[in-house]
Amino acid sequence: MNIWKISIQNIKSKALYTFLSILTLALSIALLLGIQQIKNSFEHQLENNIGEIDLVIGAKGSPLQLILASVLHLDNPTGNIPYIDAKKLGKHPMVKTAVPISYGDNYKGYRIVGTTDKFLSLYHAEIASGRRVEHSLEVVIGHRVAERTGLKLGDTFLSSHGLVDNDIDVHNNKIKVVGILKPTGNVIDRLMITNLESIWEVHEHEQHNEDHDGYDKDHYGEEHLNHDDHDEDHLSEEHASHDDHNKYDEDHHDEQHSDHENHHEDDKEITSLLISFRSPAAFLTFPRRINEKTNMQAALPKFELDRLYEFTGIGLTTITWIAYLILLISGIIIFVSLYKMVKERSFDLALLRTYGASNLQLIKMVALEGLIVLIIAFSLGYLFVKVGLKYMFSFLSDNKQNMLQELPFEDVLQTTGMVFAVIVLSILIAIYPIIKMNISTILSNEK
Amino acid sequence: MIITENLKFQYNKQESPFNFPDIDLNSNENLLILGKSGIGKTTFLHLLAGLLTPTEGKVVINNTEINSLSQSKLDKFRGEHIGMVFQQKHAVQSLTVVDNLKARLFFSKKTLNDSKIETLLNSLDLLHCKNKKTNEISEGQLQRLGIALAVIHNPQVILADEPTSSLDDDNCKTVIELLIQQAAETKANLIVITHDQRIKSFFSNTITL
Repeated sequence: MNIWKISIQNIKSKALYTFLSILTLALSIALLLGIQQIKNSFEHQLENNIGEIDLVIGAKGSPLQLILASVLHLDNPTGNIPYIDAKKLGKHPMVKTAVPISYGDNYKGYRIVGTTDKFLSLYHAEIASGRRVEHSLEVVIGHRVAERTGLKLGDTFLSSHGLVDNDIDVHNNKIKVVGILKPTGNVIDRLMITNLESIWEVHEHEQHNEDHDGYDKDHYGEEHLNHDDHDEDHLSEEHASHDDHNKYDEDHHDEQHSDHENHHEDDKEITSLLISFRSPAAFLTFPRRINEKTNMQAALPKFELDRLYEFTGIGLTTITWIAYLILLISGIIIFVSLYKMVKERSFDLALLRTYGASNLQLIKMVALEGLIVLIIAFSLGYLFVKVGLKYMFSFLSDNKQNMLQELPFEDVLQTTGMVFAVIVLSILIAIYPIIKMNISTILSNEK
Repeated sequence: MIITENLKFQYNKQESPFNFPDIDLNSNENLLILGKSGIGKTTFLHLLAGLLTPTEGKVVINNTEINSLSQSKLDKFRGEHIGMVFQQKHAVQSLTVVDNLKARLFFSKKTLNDSKIETLLNSLDLLHCKNKKTNEISEGQLQRLGIALAVIHNPQVILADEPTSSLDDDNCKTVIELLIQQAAETKANLIVITHDQRIKSFFSNTITL
């Protein structure tokens, strides 16, 4: 027999209170840790996806849309910008790296991004097998894409037009997988990366082939209208290059076939330009100058995503407050449970004093009761979070990324510390009457 | 052995103090203290147990003046040398019969092997309910458990506060005989305070407050 065993027997003898205490406390711990982990995963995901991108330059429109499209690769782009303008900006002394990206096609819903070699280093992505893109119509695919589509090195596929998977508008050019990336945990896992020329070429080839096969200009017009049927925003790039090409075809109808591949890239357009600065000072002047002096827009990913996060954060904040409330209730339940024990069973405690127990031993006994409840509840709560979140995120597999992020130790410690503080306080308040307990009076009032 | 000298106790300064007669018991001597309700019987018993500190005078048990001990030493001393029996509530509710005895031993820092505990339980006819909670046994059984708890650690002094007043005649006789028998076995002084005249005949040594 020892104090532990007596505490455990005490807990067992008031099963309902113990059950309630453990349930509410576990629930509040699970909510607190769960919310923190979700919040953390979400923030980490966003930050990870921003990579080293300080600024995104694209066509005028919604800055948030531009960021969502060019950084998170979720929304449709705002439009296109001339490649020649982008190249000029990239040479600015304040700019460390400037990576152009160009959209147009997808394979089974995974976006094909035309870009340069530097895109991979923006996200610190490394090739797991194969090599980088060296020629047009070659792609390096992200880990997730490889996993989900089953594409392997050397496989070829036909891309479909636009950013949404469809079987109707499929290009004729076979694209070859030359490399697969290591998993990074960020957006690049679900992208297919090629060079800018591929994007331009796929669409040019198409038009030339069609032209070659005897399509007349009326057909061209139809083709055009078809494209208009798609979502207007994300096709605007397409749109523009078609327009471009129409003119080109009209002007140089005969000579173009031989030299179209050498066509000067300065006439081309890209979706956006991802920039990282040499020094933070550039944040002050560079974006403003672009927004004021050019017909392009500059958007700051961190700023836009923080704004987005503020909106989505409200729900999480509410749940966090609910969790605090439950923690408070649980603290009160534990307090009442122990206080009842101290008050209603004061005779038992006095009896233990006549057995030779010191005040300190009684305090230890009651405190242990509270601590046992706390530890069981904490373990349960932690288990709820682990199992619950795994289960939840396995349902959300359609987001094509492994979002769940382990909670950093400091955060767990912080929550743990707070929960312990609340519960230990409840225990201390409940214990206080023991110190003031008058055994003689309690024993005299036996009847 | 237990000696008191000139014991006085005052609950508050407005009231006149209780004056208690001196007692001087050698080992194996028993004492019955009779008195009406409110006369200070329980106060006297609590002074003897060191649960109350006298305003004046002293209590000496086995050559130790208990009032000179610090609180923690007094707790220890009480656990080791004193056993107490109460009127109705005898044991901790959340523990079983045998666990109560083990807790009693734990707090008085004494060990007793299981067979000795069982012998004691058997002698008090409690062996069959040793794993029952205290709210699952009868009042008579509970009373006997109270006696077991008062003697299990081999105390020098057994203090009983109205141990028989809620019992019928038969049980009253059984309990008081058991108490005297257990005290004799452990060579302890038995001091019983009561207003129950039925048990007068069991004691040769009686004082009336």
